[in-house]
Amino acid sequence: MVSAATVVATLVAVVVGLVVGPTSIGAGAILADLLAHVGVGHARLNALDGTIVWQLRAPRMVLGLLAGAMLAVAGGSYQGIFRNPLADPYLLGVAAGAGLGATVAIVHDGGAVNVPTWTPWLAFAGALVAVALTWLIGGRGPRSTTSTLILAGVAMAALLTSAQTFLLQQASAQSLARVYIWLLGSLASANWSSVEVVLPYVLLCSLICVMAGRALDVMSVGEEEARALGLSVRQVRGVVVGAASLGTAAVVSVVGLIGFVGIIVPHIVRLLVGTSYRRILPLSVVFGAAFLVLCDTVARTVLAPSELPLGVVTAIIGAPVFVIILSLRRGVRS
Amino acid sequence: MTVVVEDMTVRAGRSTLVEDVSFSVPAGSWCTIIGPNGAGKTSLITALAGLRGLAKGRVLVKDLDVHAQSERQRAHVLAFVPQNPTVPVGMSLRDYVVLGRTAAHGVLRGPSTADLAVVDGVLERLDLGAFASRDMATLSGGEGQRAVLARTLAQGTTVVFLDEPITGLDVRHQLDMMALLRKEVDECQLTVVATLHDLTLASSVTDQLVLLSHGRVVEKGPAAEVLRRDSLSAVYGTTLRVFTVDGRDVVLPSSK
Repeated sequence: MVSAATVVATLVAVVVGLVVGPTSIGAGAILADLLAHVGVGHARLNALDGTIVWQLRAPRMVLGLLAGAMLAVAGGSYQGIFRNPLADPYLLGVAAGAGLGATVAIVHDGGAVNVPTWTPWLAFAGALVAVALTWLIGGRGPRSTTSTLILAGVAMAALLTSAQTFLLQQASAQSLARVYIWLLGSLASANWSSVEVVLPYVLLCSLICVMAGRALDVMSVGEEEARALGLSVRQVRGVVVGAASLGTAAVVSVVGLIGFVGIIVPHIVRLLVGTSYRRILPLSVVFGAAFLVLCDTVARTVLAPSELPLGVVTAIIGAPVFVIILSLRRGVRS
Repeated sequence: MTVVVEDMTVRAGRSTLVEDVSFSVPAGSWCTIIGPNGAGKTSLITALAGLRGLAKGRVLVKDLDVHAQSERQRAHVLAFVPQNPTVPVGMSLRDYVVLGRTAAHGVLRGPSTADLAVVDGVLERLDLGAFASRDMATLSGGEGQRAVLARTLAQGTTVVFLDEPITGLDVRHQLDMMALLRKEVDECQLTVVATLHDLTLASSVTDQLVLLSHGRVVEKGPAAEVLRRDSLSAVYGTTLRVFTVDGRDVVLPSSK
């Protein structure tokens, strides 16, 4: 039932993402236009509406689906690998690395109006370098454990954030404001080419994470027992951390640091379907996708034409939903 | 010999936990490691199971060098139960026992019907059928311990290493647990190596004792040979006496 509900939620999110906006365009007209595109019927939207739907709303909606799915499944995977409910996709330095990369790009660019086009690439590189360094420090060698990896991530994040703070302290007020906006995360700059960039990473990495569900279930008995049961814990940790971090880095480099999705969505799913990662991870993909698109719809319509920061909306909507489900489940148990 | 330990030395940093330990265990028999706290029993048994590297020596299980195998290869020949198994909250007992089949089916594939048949057989054998859908977190100590044993037997190996399998159980559940294991040894040719604190219990159920002190073997052999007053008292640092009651050795602290 929960699976069906999340699929319905995603369909609703897709429709809402296309239909809702300052310009009123009906769902029927959009559907007719879509059918006309594939050769069924002739009812087309006018040029302006067509552009609004297919060049602005659609790529933004698709990017939202991809980002929400990836952040949620990465967060769920991290929670499984680290057996820690507070783990989120930014745990191993992805956020700090991407933040530093973006800051370097924006501050270096000086006073331009738009964020420089190479910001995503530098953010992506920063995120990957940060995770790679974290892994080299805390994830390799016979004595590494998930704890050493987490601690290395904390140290790496602290180091990179301090570098970022230094850069910001030296920067102009204008650069400062733009870095701040980038850090809050937004889907506003979405277009089909950003979708193309992110799509392969999200498909591959979320597939790997979902396939690791059974291994993560074995790891719920702890690392030593999982090894005794025949699981190569080191290998699983490397593959899952690698996939979750790569996918997160790709998403973050394009949409910025959208908080809360990676931690709250897997927990909501867990409260609904139980503790098996074979169910949590695939449902996190679907539910995360729907959740982020719906949040983004709120973000871009409530104060239109200006936008709320997406990370603020995910928390404002996500936290109460989480608290309600938590208290309902408690009621069921007691 | 099914389990052969040759000159095994285990170190952690600079301290030596187990030194030059050698013994062997024939198929279908039970060997118990005894010794005071800190003697190195847990280090020894986790190293036997391949979960800890050796500084020296080797461990052969059915002629395979345990430390030269991958986790999955190892899990095909031996099973291991730690002192305090982790209880996964929210997992049903049956799903927990299915984890024992991980090495058999691999983590990319789910359990086959044959795997599930093995699991149901073990649940039946250990009288756990009625609890199959219960959440692991709601089981009592005795039920939980049997669940762990079920997972271990579901692994389908003929060699099992257990670290303090009866910790925290009352007398009846201790005896039940020992009887269950003994039955597997006698009827299914299971080879067991376990660590135990209860010397009387150890002497009554096992075929061979290995007495460990400061990481070294002090005595090994049948209970009647190992449980001698002078060596036991020296190793445990307190005066112990060995009585024979109904043909069985009973170890008690001296009243003096």
